[in-house]
Amino acid sequence: MKRKKRITNRTLLLTAVIGSFLIMAMVTANSIWSSNQTLLETEEAVSAVSVFYLDTMADRRAQTVSNQISNEFDQMEKALAFIRDEKIESQEELRDTLGKIRSLLSLNRFALVDRNDIVYTQYTTYTGKSRHEFLSAKKMDDRIISTVSLYGSSKQLCLAIPTPDLTIMGKSFKACFVQIDIQDIINLLAVDDQGRTYFALYTKNGSNLSGTELGPVISNRNILEATKGLVSEEVWKENCDRFAEDARGSMTFSSGDVKGTMCYVPIPDTGWKLAVLIHESVISDQIRDISEKNLSTSRNQIVLSLLAVLSLSSVLFLELMALSKDKLDAEKKTSKAFQTMANTDSLTGVRNKHAYSEYEDAVDQKIQNHEIQALAIVVCDINSLKYVNDTQGHAAGDQLIKDACALICESFPHGAVFRVGGDEFVVILQEKGYETMDEALGQLNKKVEENINEDGVVVAAGSSVLQPDDRQLCDVFTRADHLMYERKSKLKALGAKTRET
Amino acid sequence: MQRGFQKLHSVILALMMMLVLVACPSASPAEDSREASPPAGSTDPAELPSGEGTSKEAAPVNSAVNFNHELDSYVPQKDHYNFYFTYKTVHPWWDSVALGMEEAQRQYLEKGIVVTYEYMAPEGASAEDQTKRLMLAEHRHYDVIGVDVADESVISPVIDRMVDAGIKVMTFSSSDAAAGCKRIAYVGNTHNYEDGADLTEALCEKLAYKGKVAILVGSKGAPCHEDRARGARDTIAKYSGMEIAATEYDMDSVDLAYTLTMQILKDHPDLDGIICCNMSNPVGAARAIKETGSHAIIVGMDHDQEALRYLNEGVIYCLGVQDCYSIGFDTLQVAVKIADGNQPGELFPEKTNEITTVIYQKDAAIMLELLYGDI
Repeated sequence: MKRKKRITNRTLLLTAVIGSFLIMAMVTANSIWSSNQTLLETEEAVSAVSVFYLDTMADRRAQTVSNQISNEFDQMEKALAFIRDEKIESQEELRDTLGKIRSLLSLNRFALVDRNDIVYTQYTTYTGKSRHEFLSAKKMDDRIISTVSLYGSSKQLCLAIPTPDLTIMGKSFKACFVQIDIQDIINLLAVDDQGRTYFALYTKNGSNLSGTELGPVISNRNILEATKGLVSEEVWKENCDRFAEDARGSMTFSSGDVKGTMCYVPIPDTGWKLAVLIHESVISDQIRDISEKNLSTSRNQIVLSLLAVLSLSSVLFLELMALSKDKLDAEKKTSKAFQTMANTDSLTGVRNKHAYSEYEDAVDQKIQNHEIQALAIVVCDINSLKYVNDTQGHAAGDQLIKDACALICESFPHGAVFRVGGDEFVVILQEKGYETMDEALGQLNKKVEENINEDGVVVAAGSSVLQPDDRQLCDVFTRADHLMYERKSKLKALGAKTRET
Repeated sequence: MQRGFQKLHSVILALMMMLVLVACPSASPAEDSREASPPAGSTDPAELPSGEGTSKEAAPVNSAVNFNHELDSYVPQKDHYNFYFTYKTVHPWWDSVALGMEEAQRQYLEKGIVVTYEYMAPEGASAEDQTKRLMLAEHRHYDVIGVDVADESVISPVIDRMVDAGIKVMTFSSSDAAAGCKRIAYVGNTHNYEDGADLTEALCEKLAYKGKVAILVGSKGAPCHEDRARGARDTIAKYSGMEIAATEYDMDSVDLAYTLTMQILKDHPDLDGIICCNMSNPVGAARAIKETGSHAIIVGMDHDQEALRYLNEGVIYCLGVQDCYSIGFDTLQVAVKIADGNQPGELFPEKTNEITTVIYQKDAAIMLELLYGDI
């Protein structure tokens, strides 16, 4: 059979303290883990958001350029219609007409080209074959969009429309064109985003067309050359291929403390790429601010919760302690009552035979340990109890017992009185009771003898003291019991009633 | 003992780091560029005044072409001028001149003065074509007619006759008329002979003054080309170890320059160098040199984009870059003054001097970026 462990107050206290620490450690660890996890997930979210944000922005800006090109072509068609309606007879009239077009349709540097590649603008007429690349083509069937790098490195977007049926001043004209300064396109795209993003236009080989800086790392250099080494060779080559094709893509790179995400999209029909870049710190700072506020709130809530749990635990612990103490006291009280009940004679109120047995065991141990030097036993027996019971009833008998007990207790105020049988009492005397035994016994005997004549309670008492050779209380008891019987005989002789009387 | 050694080690390391840090700024691009110093005769950045030779866009590239011009204080007498200009041949060189003219035109327009003009050339250089153009133009009441002389012997008399007829004629860009011509003024390169001599000197030095060279000239009779060829010949004559193997005219055609070079290389496989006197010469010669793998060294004129790329690749050794943008700007400004009846003197010189800068391979990339945005 397993021995059942007893739960003590110390165990309970230790369990409560360790449990509380464990809970606090778990909550704290969970809080830290959650914080770190949140930051990591925030970083991932930032990358995803950056790409999505830039992709959308690049698309929007590329669409702006496309719309501008489309709008310019529409204006050029209107200009051609205007020219066809005019009756132009001389170069001066042609220049005037081109002037009107410029002011009416806001077409800067609108020009016509005749079959001999002579270019007509509002103020100038010049041979333009070497100057305008699109004129080198043997045949021009459709609209042409080309990039022109002017001497002095300024760049323009050239939009040309073939004009196969246009004849002015008897000359057949092959095309009209406009040249849009790329700076004008940049101005169109440079919406105010409070400097949070960068953008630039590129050719397919990565050359910067716009002259704008794509952030401090790439700056206005060739984007492919500038990003080499910032990303893995594989990623770089993949993006080089995408750049050369009409494909869109994105690249995230790190340079020192700067982490940037760049998206590029093709601008239809131009061969250009529009790239937009954002430093992740811009988004992450904002998201981090929000996250940190949330985390701070969570931390405060956790701390408050911990404090509340601790307070509640403390209160519960104290209440539990108090309840345990009350319960323990009650149990002690009950136990004491039970013990009292077990050791007390219900009739007389003195200790009973069971109590005597326990007392005897304890005294025996002390005798054997030589812890008791002086001890006496008085054995008392009530005379005529059976006679009273038989003749007057058990109530009278009980009363006799009570009276006898009262007499004994009264006679030995410093002794321990036990009712060890129906009519038998034992008084154990130690210390002062021992010292006064003879006097007490004398008074008892005197009273008993007086009671014989007054028909009062008669108790026969025999006493004995602890002898050096005694090994147990029983030895003393036996001697006292023997003397009690001798006294009983004497009392009979004095007229005391007996069992048979 | 060991602790003492560790301290000493730390101190040495710290000193080394300090030395490295102190040394870093001195490793500037300027010093790198000095290590790759150009041959004698070029404008070495290290020789420039303080501050001019230290940036990426260092001289001579920076000063080769001046894009920053403003009209002078002269107040035109009319609010509208109409000019006619004719030049040798359709070629990007003259497109660069046109851009300078357009800038001046724009600045006049800002002042409320409209300048219109025609700027015309044939597909191939031709004195006959130029004569026809001038004869047509003289009856169309232009304020001034400008001529880039295709052949001084043919065009100069035409100009004289026009001037005698009361037409205001000036010459511009690459070629002036013959000495004594009645043209009012010339705006353009006034030192073609020296340019030819300078380029040839650079080649001779590169060849250690010993070798066989060919001279490619542009159009026959074109003063600028002939002057450069003369400068080249005179320079070669100074050195006994130098020999001219051939002289050919490409008539300002790149294709012809290529064909001629191929033939020269076939005839003279041991050719050491080619002196190119116009803008088409070096491009055609470089194509042939690259194709044949010849080791002949090319020196040449002007800054055609393709020529600059060959320079960047190392196929061409050096190029003489003329400031055509400034030529164009100044041409239009002088034309306005001439149209108002002014003569050379305080307002403008009879010959406006424009610069030529010899650039070498190390400057090619910057020049490509500066002029053509070719990066």
